[in-house]
Amino acid sequence: MVNLEELKENAKELLKQEKVKYIIGYKRGTNGLMPVPAFIKKPEDVENLIWDPLCIYNLTRFLVDEKRKKAKQKNPDERPVGLIVKGCDSRAVNVLLQEKFINREDIYIIGISCENTGVVDEKKLVKKLKGKKVKKIEFGKKNGFIVSTEDGQVEVPSSEILAERCQECIAHFPVVYDVLLGEKPKRKPDNPFKSLEKMESLSREERWTFWKEQLDKCIRCYACRSTCPMCYCDECVVDTINFAVTADTTAEEKAQKIKWVEKSPVLSENFVYHFIRAIHLAGRCIDCGECERVCPLDIPLRFLNKKLEKEAKELFGYDVGFDPDRPSLVSCFKEEDPEDFIR
Amino acid sequence: MKKILRKKSFLQWVKRLESYKIYAPMKDDDFWNFALINNPKDLNLNHSNTVLSPKKIIFPQREVILEFSTSNDSELEVKEILPEEKASIIFGVRPCDARAIPLMDKVFGGDFTDPYYWKRRDKTILVGLSCNTPPSSNCFCLSVEGSPHSKEGLDILMTDLGDKYYVESLTKKGDQLINLAKNLFEEPNAKDNKDLENIHKDSEKKIKRQIQDIKNIPAKLKEMFESPFWDEESLSCLRCGICTYLCPTCHCFDINDEIISSSPLKGKRVRTWDNCQFPDFTMHSSGHNPRSDRASRLRQRILHKFQYFIEQYQNYQCTGCGRCISKCPVGIDIIEVLNKVENYGT
Amino acid sequence: MEHNAYIPRLAKIIQIKEEVSGARPIKTFRTQFLNKNDFAFHCGQCTMLSVFGKGESMISISSPPLIKDYLQFSILKMGRVTSALHEMEVGDKIGIRGPYGNGFPIEDWKGKNLIFIGGGIGLAPIWSVLQTALGKKQEYGELKLIYGARTSKDLVFKEELKELKKKMIVHLSIDVEEPEWEEFIGFVPQNVTDKKPSPKNAITITCGPPIMIKFVIQALKDLEFEDAQIYTTVENKMKCGIGKCGRCNIGMHYVCKDGPVYSWAELKKLPQEY
Repeated sequence: MVNLEELKENAKELLKQEKVKYIIGYKRGTNGLMPVPAFIKKPEDVENLIWDPLCIYNLTRFLVDEKRKKAKQKNPDERPVGLIVKGCDSRAVNVLLQEKFINREDIYIIGISCENTGVVDEKKLVKKLKGKKVKKIEFGKKNGFIVSTEDGQVEVPSSEILAERCQECIAHFPVVYDVLLGEKPKRKPDNPFKSLEKMESLSREERWTFWKEQLDKCIRCYACRSTCPMCYCDECVVDTINFAVTADTTAEEKAQKIKWVEKSPVLSENFVYHFIRAIHLAGRCIDCGECERVCPLDIPLRFLNKKLEKEAKELFGYDVGFDPDRPSLVSCFKEEDPEDFIR
Repeated sequence: MKKILRKKSFLQWVKRLESYKIYAPMKDDDFWNFALINNPKDLNLNHSNTVLSPKKIIFPQREVILEFSTSNDSELEVKEILPEEKASIIFGVRPCDARAIPLMDKVFGGDFTDPYYWKRRDKTILVGLSCNTPPSSNCFCLSVEGSPHSKEGLDILMTDLGDKYYVESLTKKGDQLINLAKNLFEEPNAKDNKDLENIHKDSEKKIKRQIQDIKNIPAKLKEMFESPFWDEESLSCLRCGICTYLCPTCHCFDINDEIISSSPLKGKRVRTWDNCQFPDFTMHSSGHNPRSDRASRLRQRILHKFQYFIEQYQNYQCTGCGRCISKCPVGIDIIEVLNKVENYGT
Repeated sequence: MEHNAYIPRLAKIIQIKEEVSGARPIKTFRTQFLNKNDFAFHCGQCTMLSVFGKGESMISISSPPLIKDYLQFSILKMGRVTSALHEMEVGDKIGIRGPYGNGFPIEDWKGKNLIFIGGGIGLAPIWSVLQTALGKKQEYGELKLIYGARTSKDLVFKEELKELKKKMIVHLSIDVEEPEWEEFIGFVPQNVTDKKPSPKNAITITCGPPIMIKFVIQALKDLEFEDAQIYTTVENKMKCGIGKCGRCNIGMHYVCKDGPVYSWAELKKLPQEY
């Protein structure tokens, strides 16, 4: 079992010895039970750190902010940032390393194993408890969670409230870390692409109808893009103007920038936005599920990314985020790559 | 005008209103949203807070302002496109969302009236529903001069009294709706009035969240413009647009030309919601950006609502609906931010 | 029904003059409305120009209000809309809506010495007020212009400046040395310090890049100008022009409606976020 005190001790030492600038972890929020990201700078503040089955966020996303901030500083603090990662999050770190977006020496990785479970799906939890307020949630001894409400404690099997992505997770432990808390379990899902089965059984027309309905809801708040650690581009096709514009950018360059996607949240534009994003995540998405979780309109975005993950696996034998030294999926060509889809 | 409507007569009332477009909260899987009601039977007033506020009906996320084209003899033509709206009724408006409408009226009125907004606004009747229990765990209407039974902005306020609704008409528009089905309504008796009073009083006690002392906030914010506080508070902000797009009072918009054909020229100028949390919102075409970091953008959102709007219109630009708190992907909590402001440096 | 503020009136380009060529080109456009011309404005006000299919851009009017035959705009090629304007030819049509903003309080300045300070394209927004004051020269004290650009080629209104020298004091500058340049070499704020204009009974009107404005204000403060004697214009990204779309605010002020003209006494009280 992951020991929270051990986590705090580790974090405290890192800060005391000034080995890291700050540590990105989880702390209790003010809005109900959900934790919030914590940016811990002082050793005494490590007391705020928590670890429970609602520590859903992929904190790797904040490395993007850190990099942008550092780029602006004249004399940046060169020490690494401490980062708490779960298994899926650690694979996001690997992708960022693979793409040379970050350097290994700029992060100190505190890995936390999800051991035999994973994190809870907030929406499933709310449904399961039928309006009862959760006071506390912990990992159970076996494959389950201990949920405390005003009516006392119940043990809920993980199958009922575990996030779907955790049910399909192929590595419940960090694959890259400087310190690891918890054990490395040997659990493989029966079918890592099980959630796709229903969608794949639908006809082309049915799928079209489904996605039309779903993407019509999109209000283009871009929360899916904003929360994604892979959406770090300085220039994104959906923005009217972006980080890449500097005083040296010529008027021609700005004027010639094609508007690929209009700002109007209409079906055609929403489709272009979401499909461009999905394609850009092929071979990069590590299925942290954050895009789907943050969507205020519950668009099942994970389907899109999971489908492409499956394609990458089946066509190219590519697993995302296990090896930072391996060339990325879309930047390498191999003689034996299948070509039968080119017509 | 104060009336009683039996719940069993509610459907009949709605049926009498068939000459209007009717909007009401509808459940879509796990959440509620306002939608056009085709069958009065779909109407259900047991909703928790809708994801989007009814502002989207009066101020839609996208609307065409004008169309332009060049004809065969290459003459440029520009055509004004105003919404041709049938009169609408929105049922089930929560008092916080209703209070947001008069705030929008101030923005879209004034020196330059906004014809697109007013075309819809003038033809919309707002029928509210008191919140006997808070529709969200983050409701804080009492802190911003509102209440779970506020009448502000509404034409009718309905309160659930169990097997009947207490229906209070507040405007002529509201009277009209009741008059269309006069026989369905009864006069409230002394007990109804007493029940109403008790339910309203009780509902206030159920609001759990609050801003400590809002009176000092605008002045405090003014002092804190340069404070490092904003850097700290915005550390986890993802710069997404949830907080503002879901807000019932946020009104910022963008205007862009959308081309259907470039030769001959044919296209539309459209207005869409825009968002102070997006970096390109204020970025000049030179690349200069007055609000280039998350801290300045979070500060803008809070200051606009709790300082600038007060200075300009003498109201808070927040009605305490709690949506920005409930839906923030990283738990940024406007109540907590303001409570920290209140205690900052003391 | 009131006029819809979002609908531009159509106008025809009747003259285009290339002011500056190269990487940062500037052109001056004269336009005439297709319909009845009853467009009235104050010095320093702006209009929203439309290139249909590209969008709108807020541009200040550089012709004086007394000229009724045309409106003049001097435009630096900067983004999508201004690039499209630079592609246009005489006879092409654009949309104009406005005028917007507060304008210069020129009536309050009667009897005072006016010192105009501009950098680069920043001469355009003050050209209207400068010409207006010049046209009623007897109503004002001494008129003076301190203007500079990166190079002599980057100066706008080159011919007009030659004419202007016959009518009022003009101090020009360029940032770096060039053969045959006989006037000041250095940045505009340095030229201000060098020429030492007197604050006595004077008003200064400054427009240019934000960094120049900042240092000009500093130079003027060093010369003991009062905050209320220093006027400048602010620009921000704008979409509606009528104080509703929310992006051009400085504190509670919307630059499109409450600005763009501010005295330093007013501007310094606002949040420094522009």
